[in-house]
Amino acid sequence: MADSSVPVRLASAAPNARVRRVPSKAMLRYGHLWFVLPGLVFFFSVMIFPAIFALGISLTNWSGLGTNFQFVGLDNFTNALSHWPFYRAAINNFYIFISILIFQHTVGLFIAVQLNEKPRFMQFYRTVLFLPVIISLVSTGFIWTLMLSSNIGFLNPMLEDIGLGFLARNWLSDTATALPTVIAVTAWNSLGWSVVLYLAGLQNIPEELKQAAQIDGANGWQIFWRVIFPLLSPSFTSLTVLTFIGTFRTFDVVYVLTGPLGSPAYRTDVLGTLIYRTAFGGSGFSNSDIRMSFAIAMALILFFAMALICWGMIVVLRKREIQS
Amino acid sequence: MKHKLMKSLLVGILLASTALPSPAQDKTVLTMWHNHPEWKDRVEAILVKFEEENPTIDIQLEEIAGTNYTTRLNTALAAGEAPDLFGLSPGPDTAAAAAAGYSVDLTDKLDISGLTPSAKAAVTIDGKVWSAPILGSYTVGLYYHRKVFADNGLTPPSNQSEFMALCQTLKDKGIVPMIAPAQDGIIPAFLYMMMASSVLKADGFDAVRKGTRKLTDPDVVKAAYFLRDIYTCFQDGSLATPYVEGKALFALGKGAMLEGGSADYAGFLETNPDIDVGVVPFPAVDGGTPATVTGMEAPYNINATSKNIDAAVTFLQWMMGKEPAQMVVDTITLTTTEGVVPSDNRVMKEMIEAGRSNDVRVFYELPETGGVFGAIQQNAAALFLGEMSPEDFSKALQDTVKPSGS
Repeated sequence: MADSSVPVRLASAAPNARVRRVPSKAMLRYGHLWFVLPGLVFFFSVMIFPAIFALGISLTNWSGLGTNFQFVGLDNFTNALSHWPFYRAAINNFYIFISILIFQHTVGLFIAVQLNEKPRFMQFYRTVLFLPVIISLVSTGFIWTLMLSSNIGFLNPMLEDIGLGFLARNWLSDTATALPTVIAVTAWNSLGWSVVLYLAGLQNIPEELKQAAQIDGANGWQIFWRVIFPLLSPSFTSLTVLTFIGTFRTFDVVYVLTGPLGSPAYRTDVLGTLIYRTAFGGSGFSNSDIRMSFAIAMALILFFAMALICWGMIVVLRKREIQS
Repeated sequence: MKHKLMKSLLVGILLASTALPSPAQDKTVLTMWHNHPEWKDRVEAILVKFEEENPTIDIQLEEIAGTNYTTRLNTALAAGEAPDLFGLSPGPDTAAAAAAGYSVDLTDKLDISGLTPSAKAAVTIDGKVWSAPILGSYTVGLYYHRKVFADNGLTPPSNQSEFMALCQTLKDKGIVPMIAPAQDGIIPAFLYMMMASSVLKADGFDAVRKGTRKLTDPDVVKAAYFLRDIYTCFQDGSLATPYVEGKALFALGKGAMLEGGSADYAGFLETNPDIDVGVVPFPAVDGGTPATVTGMEAPYNINATSKNIDAAVTFLQWMMGKEPAQMVVDTITLTTTEGVVPSDNRVMKEMIEAGRSNDVRVFYELPETGGVFGAIQQNAAALFLGEMSPEDFSKALQDTVKPSGS
């Protein structure tokens, strides 16, 4: 049998015609890997290798300064799992997640349904609603700090000017309003995502299904709940998982709005600010509270916990999609 | 032919340009990081003076906001990307950098005989010199707006009772008694240090370092009570007010008093050139002595990986001289060079006078009490909100003390 990797000259070809190489079986089966190799190399060098390196550091007592450290095994991980501030911050992240999830699946869905009716200036509304998403979270934090500040903000004076002075608060320093304020700012920033995702899902629903339901006598609410909403399952899944990841990674907005300590009195402290503070310290005056390897251990616990929860979410929600 | 001629001409020009001396190559460039952007113009004026006298050395200054400085510097040091000259708090931080091999040993390179005794002690660790205090020291006391006090017939308080009474008087007149940006806990930390120092004084603080006195002693716990009570005198939203916003609010006259350091005055002038303030030592816990605390503005280390160590040494030595020290004390903050006094800066003179009352080192510069500052930051808000008792607060601080006798 002829070797398929050997150049083959067609019998009908002219004597000087170029020889066509036939790809080998290995090349046919694995040749695509050459195309993904650059991306894989990049992925390994900026994601996998640093993660492995971080895991190594988390097994030591390195403070973050100098080269003097010892191997301590899993001490950092066991300490992190019994570290009350870790759970306190995680609970705040959970509150943010639940609040944003409910907001996006209600308000976001409602707005998407309205935009799906293609009102006048629909493009304008969609652009305006998505604008906060493209503003960086640091900029978002600064904008809202200026608005909400008790001293230089304009929200409280505006409320007083329109006769709603009784609503004025120390939004970011009052323990009752600080976290809800952070949640409100996050919701404002992320609303555009839910609108865009749900709008895309709505636009993929065949019109015939709604017409068939109308013919069968279903009213508007029944059409939405029994026909449209089940078909939005993929959007629901995507949004839920993305919201979970986004809210448990919260850092920028909290850091800018309430500082590295999650003021007041840790009411807005989240896992991001806790890990940052533990790794780099909470002030510019002293390095005495820096514990880099402990911070990395907390970050790794968070990573694995999030991965596990995301996997569980996707499994459960995909089943729901299939049933729908 | 024409094409070959053009090519030859081009090659000739390129070769000739490499033979020409480049003036920039004769200059040594030193990179320097600093953590007071509000001083930029004043520091650059001093650097320009140095460059005039040392034309072969250029200093490239980068200003980084104080609250981000430590994070950026630590990351740069770990990555090997720190500048030639970087400032670090004296004491534990400088010792850690020296132990890690980040800093050059300056013991036989620098002459520090012209420094004040406290400055010499601050930069000497186990007999070795690792840094130079080139941008002075700071003393922290109580600033007050002189016009507000004069218009209302008030005098600055000297103890807790007077302070709280003054606080109520000002509130009754619709004036915010005290600006305190407490978001990151830095101001409460300085407040506590002065309140505790009013009870301990220098001797008592040394005793805490040795372990023969504690921050949980009944008389020292009164400082925690004072700190808790003073919260009612702060501006609205103090727990969410960032550090720099608070300083600006005071400079603009939004509050009558501010706990601040000599290093803050330059920043006040940047915000409000017409500011008219006075300085007194911070009021004492009843029965104590009004106190100030003093620390070094981050002394400068030379990066051990710098390619221009000799030039950096030249710069540091020059900065400790009388002329640059005079520029520092006249335009920025107190100096650490012996025999240099403010020529015409009333506020600096008042700050020096305030320090004569009862001055104690800032706690975080010393290995025994280095952790107290962070503990105050982390627990002050709970104390203010009544979620933590003054006794538990004092205990949390004491738990971080590592007495030298232990």
